[in-house]
Amino acid sequence: MSYTNEQVAHLVEGTLDWETTFRMLSMPKDNSRFAQYLAALQAKVGFPDRIVLPLGPHLYIVQSARDKKWLIQCDCGHAFCGYKDNWKLHAAIYVRDTEAAMTEVYPALMAPDTRWQVYREYYCPSCGTMHDVEAPTPWYPVIHDFEPDIDTFYKEWVNLPLPERLD
Amino acid sequence: MQSEQSNVQVMGIDAGGTMTDTFFVRADGRFVVGKAQSNPEDESLAIYHSSVDALAHWQREVDDVFPELVTCVYSGTAMLNRILMRKGLAVGLICNKGFEQIHSMGRALQSYLGYALEDRIHLNTHRYDEPLVPVARTRGVTERTDVQGRVVIPLREEDVRQAVRELVEAGSQAIVICLLQSHKNAASELRARDLAREELARLQVDIPVFASVDYYPSRKESHRMNTTILEAYGAEPSRQTLKKVSDRFKKHGARFDLRVMATHGGTISWKAKELARTIVSGPIGGVIGSKLLGEYLGDENIACSDIGGTSFDVALITKGSFAIRSDPDMARLVLSLPLVAMDSVGAGAGSFVRLDPYSKSIKLGPDSAGYRVGTCWPESGLDTVSVSDCHVVLGYLNPDNFLGGAIKLDVQRAREHIKAQIADPLGLSVEDAAAGVIELLDLTLSEYLRANISAKGYNPAEFTCFSYGGAGPVHTYGYTEGVGFKDVVVPAWAAGFSAFGCACADFEYRYDKSVDLGLAQFASDELKAAACATLQQAWQELAVKVIDEFVINGFQPQDVLLIPGYKMQYMGQLNDLEIVSPVSSAATAQDWDRIVASFETTYGRVYASSARSPELGFSITGAILRGMVVTQKPVLPEDPDAGPTPPPQAYLGTRPFYRHKQWREAALWKMEALKAGNHITGPAIIESDATTFVVPDGFETTIDKHRLFHLKQVK
Repeated sequence: MSYTNEQVAHLVEGTLDWETTFRMLSMPKDNSRFAQYLAALQAKVGFPDRIVLPLGPHLYIVQSARDKKWLIQCDCGHAFCGYKDNWKLHAAIYVRDTEAAMTEVYPALMAPDTRWQVYREYYCPSCGTMHDVEAPTPWYPVIHDFEPDIDTFYKEWVNLPLPERLD
Repeated sequence: MQSEQSNVQVMGIDAGGTMTDTFFVRADGRFVVGKAQSNPEDESLAIYHSSVDALAHWQREVDDVFPELVTCVYSGTAMLNRILMRKGLAVGLICNKGFEQIHSMGRALQSYLGYALEDRIHLNTHRYDEPLVPVARTRGVTERTDVQGRVVIPLREEDVRQAVRELVEAGSQAIVICLLQSHKNAASELRARDLAREELARLQVDIPVFASVDYYPSRKESHRMNTTILEAYGAEPSRQTLKKVSDRFKKHGARFDLRVMATHGGTISWKAKELARTIVSGPIGGVIGSKLLGEYLGDENIACSDIGGTSFDVALITKGSFAIRSDPDMARLVLSLPLVAMDSVGAGAGSFVRLDPYSKSIKLGPDSAGYRVGTCWPESGLDTVSVSDCHVVLGYLNPDNFLGGAIKLDVQRAREHIKAQIADPLGLSVEDAAAGVIELLDLTLSEYLRANISAKGYNPAEFTCFSYGGAGPVHTYGYTEGVGFKDVVVPAWAAGFSAFGCACADFEYRYDKSVDLGLAQFASDELKAAACATLQQAWQELAVKVIDEFVINGFQPQDVLLIPGYKMQYMGQLNDLEIVSPVSSAATAQDWDRIVASFETTYGRVYASSARSPELGFSITGAILRGMVVTQKPVLPEDPDAGPTPPPQAYLGTRPFYRHKQWREAALWKMEALKAGNHITGPAIIESDATTFVVPDGFETTIDKHRLFHLKQVK
């Protein structure tokens, strides 16, 4: 089973017809999907750096076009940090830890007690895109939620040559 | 061809998604099958072309045959497609206030109806279809009737008028009214219906109003609402399609009144008030045809098996009657319509064959090549192997005579695809890989068939298996081998069997109504008589509807044979059984005792005598009334016995055929040239334009006087 680049681009946009989407969901994954998926994402972003792995709807690990370093980068081209760092520590952070701040997003009495749970929102400092929200207890450290083994993923899972990396 | 003196009497039509089949039967039982490409724009044209194709076998013209016909039954998928494509009328819905979202939300199971098991348990694939009526055209009115049928909040009449005005304003082309518990107490809903009609008259708007109790007074709100909406949404456009078909017949001199196959297994007029029940009809035809054949052969237990390109359908006939399901699902909607019970598995002759990339096991389907056959047909544009490819490679199918030579199949192309996709990754030869696929399919189907019979508590040795459908006879030996049927029958007209079956169906209306009757085992005579009175009341209500339908077609009430029935269960149990009533009307305690006795006998037969539990008491959950009038049915051919040796002109040569790891030369026979009494021992392949009947080594077959092949294993 394989799909055209156009179909994968529609998938990324959320405009793929249901029948094709259903087939994709219920069949084993097509071999060329990851490469096509990257190509579709690459065509959407404005920066010249090569996408290595998407991390979120607007967040990627990229290979810098300038020096081949791997960075975590926003849609807008803002680079947070090296790909092994916790990008959240380099983001603009807004913490909802008061009842007033909670009632901005939830009706009164339907939000958590902020002595037990707070919301931490992580934004791109340059374009303001929200990349993640955490809901931890107030004292909990910033969560480093994903440390992908990209080498294994490229070599053993998707069978693609690993993009060059200068550390 | 024989003399042309015999009149053509019966016509059956099966208008499918890709092909429109017609089936004509003469008074002497001779028949022809015609095929033409379906035409969704104008079905009547496809039927005309298909008829021309069929009648050409007899060198006859449509214009001189149509006036001879006495009966014609249509079955088709047009209504179903209209629902699936959401191309019906803009319907407005009136329901109880607060329940406006009910139809949009639907039942949770509607999000995965029609899925293969793998997808049912794969939540990501679940999805709700667009509702037939949007919330924007739904209005709630204040009213409440409780489960006992008591009016708790009376209908607020001004709400109804207001709702009608708004729905008309919103562009509704029909209005459906469905209030809670209206099957228990119809008063509020009927009042709302009358108010709606008054308001429409006042507005001088001429659109139909459908109250659910007038159509489907059955419990289960989602089912009742869906079915009534279906009626408003799809029935009227379908009626226009059928009118077009009927008009074209009339133009060619037809004098018969066109009838349509309905889900309950009878046929109804295209003028009938309830057309929603024509939504599925094709596969039912086969079951009706099997029942008629069974009566000819004296077999009262039949396993009907229909294998098409995409699915394998199984239905059981026990003691001469088929089961009815009362709340089936169709077009991914739960409905309250009586439907001939059938079970389906998504594996057919056109199923795609793939290797699971992780386990390297062969997987069949769930999708299929459909009319595109497989990679063996270069014009198909397909590059995934299908089951048909395996058949072509192994010599089961004739590459030069597929569909009577209409398309040429490329064996080499199929070989290459099987080699690359299946054989090489598994380290097998192309033949063994293809044979493995066929074995897997046969095993899947025979297990399914066996499970369907034994799970219902029956023994296959008491059943005759009928095998039909375009691809049925290719697989018959495979899926019946080892199951242990009493007899295995393949009709020579297997490909047109559904159309034939439709022509066999009675002109019959059936109406159902939910009732709630519960009586202890030893209830007093007064209580028994009271229960009878309730049941009789329901039958009388239904009788009015049934007779009304026949009157539309010009019958007199006294022409109609009424057959009352009921659904009964032991109190507290969950499954009811449908029983044909032993009494024509119910009034006395004795009548009640006979009603109970009839139920207990059936229960003992379906489950086991020892499972009967009269101490629980008895519930009647539904009243059923069927009404029918006499119609002309096809007669089967009665050929003289020509002895066991086939005539030499039937012999077409041999073809290499691979099975059990060796190539053997299979004798080829022309099906049409074989005579009654002829006996053929495998390996042999019996070919006709529309189907191929495979008799491998270890099997033998005899054709009887009705042109039915009986397949046996050689002991």
